[in-house]
Amino acid sequence: MKTWQTFRFELAYQLRRPWPWLGFASLFVFTFFFSREGVVPVTLTADFSVNAPFVVTAATVITSLLWLLVAAPIAGEAAARDVQTRMDQLLFTSPVVKAEHLAGRWLAALLLNALVLLGAQAGSVAAVLIPGLAPELVAPLRLGTYTAAFAYVALPNAVVGTTVQFAVALRSGRPMTSWFASFVLLFLAVPVSGFVAMPLGFPTVGRLTDPMGFIAIWNSVLLEWTIAEKYTRSFTLEGAALYNRLVWIGIAGAVWGLMYTRFRFAYRTPYQAIGWWLGRKRLRSTEERRANAAQSAPAGARATSSIGGGSAPTPAAARSFDARTRWLQLRRIASMSSVSLLRSPAGLFLLTVFPAFLLLVVTVQLRVLDVSILPRTGYLLSKYLTGATLKPENFWLLVPLLILYFAGELLWRERDARMADAHDTVPVPPWVPLAGKFVGLALVILLVLATTMTIGLFTQIRLGYARHELGLFTFVLFGLQFLDYLLLAALAFAVHTMVNQKYGGHLLAVLSYVFLLLAPRFGVEHPLLRYASSPPWSYTDLRGFGASLGPWSWFHLYWSAWALMLLVGATLLWPRGRETAIRARLQQARARLHRGALGLTALGGVAMAGSGAFIFYNTNVLHVYRNSDAQVALAAEYERRFGAHANEVQPSIVSTRLEADLEPSARRATVRGSYQLRNRHQEPIRELHIERAAGVRTTLQLSRAVQRIDSAPALGHEVQVLAKPLAPGDTLTLSFEVLAAPGGFRHTGAVNAIAANGTHITSALLPSLGYQPLRELMSPDDRRAAGLPRKVTLPTPDDVHPSMLAGDAGRFEAIVSTDIDQVVVAPGVLQRSWTDRGRRWFHYVSEEPIGGLHQIFSARYATAKSRWRDVEISVFHHPAHTQQVDRLTASARATLEYFSTQFAPYPYRFLQFVEQPAPGMGMGVDGSGVVTVLEGATLFNAPARGIDGSFEIAAHEVAHQWWGGMLTPAFAEGAILLSESLAWYSAMRVIRQEKGQEALRQFMQTMRNPSPWPPIRTGLPLLRAIDPYAGYRRGPFAFYALSEYAGETAVNTALQRLIAQHRGAAAGGSMRTLATTRALYRELQTSVPDSLRSLLHDLFETTTFWHFDTKAASARPLASGQWEVTFDVSARKVRVDTSGKETEVPIREWVELAVFAAAGPGEVLGTRLYLGRHQLRAGTQRVTVVVNGKPARGGVDPYNLLDWEEGDNIEAIGDKRSPD
Amino acid sequence: MTLRIEHVSKTYANGVHAVRNVSLRIEPGMFGLLGPNGAGKSTLMRILATLQSPDSGSVQLGDLDLLRNPDAVRQRLGYLPQDFGVYPQVSAEALLDHFAVLEGMSARGERRDVVEALLRRVNLWDVRKQKLGGYSGGMRQRFGVAVALLGNPELLIVDEPTAGLDPAERVRFLNLLAELGERSVILLSTHIVEDVSELCTQMAIIDHGEILLEDAPLTAMQQLRGRIWRRVVQRSELTAIEQGQQVISTKLFGGRLVVHVHSHEHPGAGFEPAEPDLEDVYFCTMAGHMGARALAPA
Repeated sequence: MKTWQTFRFELAYQLRRPWPWLGFASLFVFTFFFSREGVVPVTLTADFSVNAPFVVTAATVITSLLWLLVAAPIAGEAAARDVQTRMDQLLFTSPVVKAEHLAGRWLAALLLNALVLLGAQAGSVAAVLIPGLAPELVAPLRLGTYTAAFAYVALPNAVVGTTVQFAVALRSGRPMTSWFASFVLLFLAVPVSGFVAMPLGFPTVGRLTDPMGFIAIWNSVLLEWTIAEKYTRSFTLEGAALYNRLVWIGIAGAVWGLMYTRFRFAYRTPYQAIGWWLGRKRLRSTEERRANAAQSAPAGARATSSIGGGSAPTPAAARSFDARTRWLQLRRIASMSSVSLLRSPAGLFLLTVFPAFLLLVVTVQLRVLDVSILPRTGYLLSKYLTGATLKPENFWLLVPLLILYFAGELLWRERDARMADAHDTVPVPPWVPLAGKFVGLALVILLVLATTMTIGLFTQIRLGYARHELGLFTFVLFGLQFLDYLLLAALAFAVHTMVNQKYGGHLLAVLSYVFLLLAPRFGVEHPLLRYASSPPWSYTDLRGFGASLGPWSWFHLYWSAWALMLLVGATLLWPRGRETAIRARLQQARARLHRGALGLTALGGVAMAGSGAFIFYNTNVLHVYRNSDAQVALAAEYERRFGAHANEVQPSIVSTRLEADLEPSARRATVRGSYQLRNRHQEPIRELHIERAAGVRTTLQLSRAVQRIDSAPALGHEVQVLAKPLAPGDTLTLSFEVLAAPGGFRHTGAVNAIAANGTHITSALLPSLGYQPLRELMSPDDRRAAGLPRKVTLPTPDDVHPSMLAGDAGRFEAIVSTDIDQVVVAPGVLQRSWTDRGRRWFHYVSEEPIGGLHQIFSARYATAKSRWRDVEISVFHHPAHTQQVDRLTASARATLEYFSTQFAPYPYRFLQFVEQPAPGMGMGVDGSGVVTVLEGATLFNAPARGIDGSFEIAAHEVAHQWWGGMLTPAFAEGAILLSESLAWYSAMRVIRQEKGQEALRQFMQTMRNPSPWPPIRTGLPLLRAIDPYAGYRRGPFAFYALSEYAGETAVNTALQRLIAQHRGAAAGGSMRTLATTRALYRELQTSVPDSLRSLLHDLFETTTFWHFDTKAASARPLASGQWEVTFDVSARKVRVDTSGKETEVPIREWVELAVFAAAGPGEVLGTRLYLGRHQLRAGTQRVTVVVNGKPARGGVDPYNLLDWEEGDNIEAIGDKRSPD
Repeated sequence: MTLRIEHVSKTYANGVHAVRNVSLRIEPGMFGLLGPNGAGKSTLMRILATLQSPDSGSVQLGDLDLLRNPDAVRQRLGYLPQDFGVYPQVSAEALLDHFAVLEGMSARGERRDVVEALLRRVNLWDVRKQKLGGYSGGMRQRFGVAVALLGNPELLIVDEPTAGLDPAERVRFLNLLAELGERSVILLSTHIVEDVSELCTQMAIIDHGEILLEDAPLTAMQQLRGRIWRRVVQRSELTAIEQGQQVISTKLFGGRLVVHVHSHEHPGAGFEPAEPDLEDVYFCTMAGHMGARALAPA
């Protein structure tokens, strides 16, 4: 049968080419490393066996993406080789049927791709079988794991990928366009589907738009499998994964059908082949013109049959070969190159689809908590409009890949069009076409950047934001980002020139890029060794670029020198003529070595050596450089040497006094200070364990005699043995002087802590006492390799000793000097501020003990102060960021009021909001009385009423002064419940009190969006919560539900008691104990009435989900003037155990039902006509209520107390009039 | 401007001796290189066009060493390859202008004039704005000629130029070449004997990489006078005649078989003397009745 014949031939042909084997090898190696290095990110450093189905499935999905980039030639060749090699006329006139031809070729390509994808499975198996792996990481080898991963993930991916690549290449007649198909599939799989699923909020749709299963399978498995399941569960096709596969196989089938109907065994003129997207109309008109020309020409031609078409001699034009001509030639080649790129499908994609997607992303993402965000230039540029080339975390990955692709296309253009001979014999030296094509590619990149800038400006104009900062746009996009892309283009040019084989060049270019991305995992960590890497630039409104541009520029000078040398090398090896053998090309290269090339190489060499030396001096001499192996060794050594002292009692800091001199412009700070230490334990203390901070110079002195000092300076730890032990209750003083002058830069960049405007130093710079368990190695792999005992990552709440002490809190005093135009913020109440000797001084004191991280800020802040009782509320902000000040203050006052009455009095006399020079979105609390506001959080641009973002987040952060500050959770499971969940719960109560129940309802609706916290199923109940979804979403919802059922007072008094219990005996918050969820639960059980015990149990001790749905609602008027509303509702309650198994359980709690009148202008819901609790049972049922007033909307569980799915349960109430 | 090729040899990696110790001296004018397919013509052409380098030997164009100064040679070179493509989406005018820039014509006005003149010369002026992808084979060939003629090359190398042209186009092309031959060295490589006989003042016959004959066509034909005989035969007689005579060619003419035979004396009944043409020279050289093969030891 002809199909078999076609299939066999194609298979044999391609098996004799290198690229299927190279593809197999790449996937094999990649999967091997992927499995071994534990590239699998999980919520906790867990110890998955290398061949757990979870890992194998993940590896298969990720490798499918690599396969798209590496194995595109297979389908491309199978589809379009005939047209490309112009063999189509022979083939298409042979008696082969369309179906046989297409099927045979397609099947061969599919089989080859499936074999290539087997490389992933082989790599996975090899990762286990090849020795070098700890035995605990190897589960028994089950064939089923690999066959499942291959059959469910790889094979459907192969079908979809092959079909789309095949169809595109077939249509265009050029095998290379299969790469374009790959890009589109990759684009759909990762950025688009990810965007649709999360920020856009349509996870079901997002799982269907993903052709490779990245979101549908990998992301789902990551989020939905409980921790226990991740260890053991086998991967099967069900749910979203199954639908995704079915949908995409269906799409592949449709593509096949389309391809089959449109394909014809017809001769393709070259024009037709490339003009397929221009449409038939253009073709027809040119054919008409040709016909006309053919008609008019022959007459003239025949008349001149004896001579050529014009006997006049050719005029002579002056020919020159000087610099001016070279410049003209370069310009011409550049413009031809860029036009040809822009007209290609990939070019059109980059200039239309990509910017459209970017615009969509920016538009959607500029709303946080459903509040619109100010499109400040710096923020837009940092977050959306630029992408690090070596850290592709979003859709910007596509631009480097397309640059690599474009470089190859440009360099092969002449050879593809069979014009190489003509071009090779023109009197143009090789540097001209090289430079011309490079400039052409650069022009295309500039156009992309210009489009990006347009989108940024358009977004700003659309949102009515006028401060465009064009200079910043230009500098970042056309300076910083452009140079990054040029470096990559230079690499691509060099690779394609040296590997004088089209597919080999592309493959090597892609693999080089992938290698660069993953270089640290392969042991190449120092940025001097990793092409195009450099510490990133960062921009914030407060700090500007800070010190980030210095190292960035040096590194880019270094890599530009390399790029220049690479381009010179490419010029020397420029393929010209028919000689492709290595020796011949090297001879050609030697012949081309003349002054210019040598000069440029010398220039590049000098620049490289000079900048490299300077960088090395900074990263390795001025600062200590340790690669990850060395850091691991250091941490292991630290634990080995000092770990025994982990529980040794140390004196507590009862008072801190600092005198700091900040020199922001010189980037230097000197801190002189002292700790007063007291032995608060029952036993005498003999040894003091003191640690100095890294990166600063510390001198210290104890006020007592020291017998001996055991110091380990490399580990930053020393033990001072006292001559006389410190008796219980006794004190001593530790004085120190710290000089922080982080000159130069590290391999991660310049230290930004002390900046010309926006200094932020913390007590992390000061000496600390005692062994620091956080310095230990966390990863089980590392611990095993270092021979350290296995560490329980997180103990359960029951495993925590009830009397474990919280950290120190003490009196604090700071006298800080800074530049005359800056404001210093330190914890405490500002006693006074004065100027002296051209500098400005600030004196802060907190008599009430404060704990946590002490932070000192200095910047050109504007200050806003207000009071609540005897608490001074201050907001320190960038002078132009004024929008939030009132809202922060209002939130602080409301929160302080609520909390002080409900939970415990606010212990300090100050509350500071400080704008921190960092571009993120959010706020944080690290120390007592201080809330840091990241610059992004000042962007909320909210209407006057309703949710505004700042108020809510600020309430949450101030809440942390209680939850986290006054009540410190122990390091155990459930800790996040005590800090984050309680913070949100109490903030929600403040919101409700200040803004109303409807506002809170809308706020909780935005909380239910999957972005930024998609629902993760860990299988652990809230009391053992460890993941952010449980902490930031499930926990608060649970607390709120409980408080609505049991009453706000009941829950709040339980919390009040909890704080009081852990406060400790002595006054002033000393000797506080750490809290666990066990203690919390005990208090809740005491407060909550017996009838609600089961609800409490369901919410916190189990993982239980309620699902309610208002299916239909109708109303009819009654004779009494009231209305009778009938609801058809369905209810379901499901309990999930740790292994992920779901069971239906009966619903015992009464569920709320509400009816609302029609909404007024500006409202979402109208007046509430009814709110009552009804007993529901599992399944569908009908509930009827009677209300006074015309109902418009209503539903079951309207405030989503128990049902935490996205969306809401409120439906429109239809009219149902009874027939009279 | 004489082209001197001295002892040039090239062997491909698969062992094929494409060019073997070829030495030629080519004066300005039309020089025809005649040979069967696979004789090494294209390889030799590409070596002269600086696209390939020989394993040994030297080539001098005037006083320029081609192998050492390829860039200088390219400034004087025009090359029409045997098999080439074009950029489909570019118009003829635009691409010819582009090549003109690459050939060093930086002044826009002059360049425009040159482009126009060349396009008229090759009769593509009316279709200059059409995209090259829509050109017929002959039109594409003419475009290649225009490119090769840019810059008035002193060395014009045309490789199998008339294969694929219709009779009118072929005549036109040959006329064009004839005009140019007055000033430059034109090296015409072909397997169509008529091209050489109509145009070339000098020629060489090459086979299996070796030059078998280097002479002026007229002189070579003269040499064969009195040695070529023709006869109309039946197909059944062919074998006998081939055994008995040195048959150099068998052709059909008006449906009948005509044999040409090489013999120093009258071959016998039925044969009549034929005026030797270049085709006879070609076949005789290939068969070894004249030229290098005739001198080689048996």
